[in-house]
Amino acid sequence: MTATIKSNLPVFVVIMPLFVAFVLPTFARRIRLVEGLVTATTALGFLGAGYLASLILIQNGNPINYSLGGWSAPWGIEIQVSNLSCFFLLMVAGVSLPIALFAADNMTHEVGGPQQTTRFYALYLLLGGALAGMAVTSDLFNVFVLVEVATLSCCGLVSSSNHPWASEAAFNYLILATLGSALILGGIGFLYIITGHLNMEFASHELNRVWQGYPHVVWIAASFLLVGFGVKSALFPLHVWLPDAHSAAPSPASAILSGLAVKGYAICLIKVLYNVFGIALIQDFGIHRILTLLGMIAIIAGSVFALTQDKLKRRLAFSTVAQVGYIFLGLGLANSQSLTGMLFHMASHAVIKSGLFLAAGAIIATTGKNRISEMAGVGRKMPITMAVFTICSVSLVGIPLFSGFVGKWHLLLGSLEAGNRLAQAVIIVGSVLCAAYLFPIIRVAYFEPTPVADCRDPGLPQMIALIMLAAWVIILGVVPGPFLELAKRAAIDLLVMK
Amino acid sequence: MRDFILKRVAALLLPFIQMYGLYVILHGHVSPGGSFAGGIVVGLAFIAFTTIYGLERGRAKVPEKVTTLVESYGTLWYGMMGMVGVFKGAPFLANKMAGIDLGELGALSSGGLIGLIGLGVGIRVASTMITLFFTMMEEEP
Repeated sequence: MTATIKSNLPVFVVIMPLFVAFVLPTFARRIRLVEGLVTATTALGFLGAGYLASLILIQNGNPINYSLGGWSAPWGIEIQVSNLSCFFLLMVAGVSLPIALFAADNMTHEVGGPQQTTRFYALYLLLGGALAGMAVTSDLFNVFVLVEVATLSCCGLVSSSNHPWASEAAFNYLILATLGSALILGGIGFLYIITGHLNMEFASHELNRVWQGYPHVVWIAASFLLVGFGVKSALFPLHVWLPDAHSAAPSPASAILSGLAVKGYAICLIKVLYNVFGIALIQDFGIHRILTLLGMIAIIAGSVFALTQDKLKRRLAFSTVAQVGYIFLGLGLANSQSLTGMLFHMASHAVIKSGLFLAAGAIIATTGKNRISEMAGVGRKMPITMAVFTICSVSLVGIPLFSGFVGKWHLLLGSLEAGNRLAQAVIIVGSVLCAAYLFPIIRVAYFEPTPVADCRDPGLPQMIALIMLAAWVIILGVVPGPFLELAKRAAIDLLVMK
Repeated sequence: MRDFILKRVAALLLPFIQMYGLYVILHGHVSPGGSFAGGIVVGLAFIAFTTIYGLERGRAKVPEKVTTLVESYGTLWYGMMGMVGVFKGAPFLANKMAGIDLGELGALSSGGLIGLIGLGVGIRVASTMITLFFTMMEEEP
């Protein structure tokens, strides 16, 4: 029994949330059972991801390959658990568990009755399953299918809100995301035309052998994939859907959308660029320069836009645009330090932004106010929520002993190694701007004299979720050990592949 | 609607449309078509019934409870069929490797689990079509 579970774990972490999501609507009458099932599924996913990660660490990064249906690689669909997959799986599971806990018992005012809440949870698990699938898949067409599942669940999550603009935001998102999906499908199609393989390893091998015969097709494929995944992961000029969608969604949905969903597409882009095109081809084509430039613009522009927002959730959403810039910057610098930093920053931002959005959700739910200027004195009335918010803010700025520092430090080392002075300056200016848009919120909440009428910290499950996320932030900052090791190995894998 | 001809023709044709849909679903693994196309034909029969005989009678045929159940468990059925391989000690979705007799090539009973998986997909697609249609019909203008 245990041996069966162990050998099938790579596929179980993907299908378990998917199938639980499908049966959830039949339990709509018993909302407690639904909440229990969702929490149990995410907790089991966390255990599974932890087990796979420890297995990979023990095996020295030797990937686990799993052939669906028993058909091996070039013919069948292959699942590959590598260092990168484990890293992302742990990230997904570690963040979706506290978000599920936070959502429990708290969705009525943001989503509606038990029927709507159940649908929300079903979409939440679908998104979780799709993200886990993105982590482990090594098949190009599967990437497209999972991207579609994730996109449609994201749109559903945004539109599930009671917020008056939610439908409009979700519709905007749907239109742009569909454009992105079409481009991704086109890019994968062009790759398939010249390689004849959908399996990443085989496609990469073939592509590096024949690409000189079809330089234009490879160009088109690369640009389609870059723009497609760029729209979905909200790379700066293509981010227009994100602030509306992420600020209109219910808070747990904002947390998972900002924390994990955009990173899922980034992971897909990393897999396609580094595992299929390969580092040599990226540098031949100069794709890394485009990525670096766009990343730098995103950091500055996202931060400046965030500075001008007065609505709390919109400010956090623009901050996501800036942090996605760091991911693309690390991707573009393309050395082992910068890739390590990029991966670690991805994980720490997932934890931090989930914490920030959940804390913001708790504040907005109890005070009913969503503007930063109206939040005077919240810190004294809701001490624990605001403490979590402060810890997360400080970490996002990148102060030592918090998780944000480790990622930014490695990014900085990577830019030193690449000799890119501009990137060094942008990373530091980005941190300063980050402090400039997050610290005023803390100042208003703690030091403004007028206290808000009456509000207090949310219930026990919400508190556990918030404290769990704050604990992740501190653990990742103080003892990044095994997690950083996993990120380093994943970065080296990406660079030496083939 | 009081259209005598339309109602009579529908009453004559709809059973055959449904039969055809079920035929396409069940023969998905041995002939062109498949469970997705067949499921759409079955769903279309219900949609045609509703447009001709009215929303109430259509809803009475397939209440929301039924579509929810079929949608959920149709997908779960797919998962269970995939798990057969796991219980037999083979990978997820394994068919011949799980020791299932694939039968004679081209026969309806051939293909092992593929026909059964197709059945789950077919009823799910049919019920999704119906749900989409009713969602649009029952929505306030």
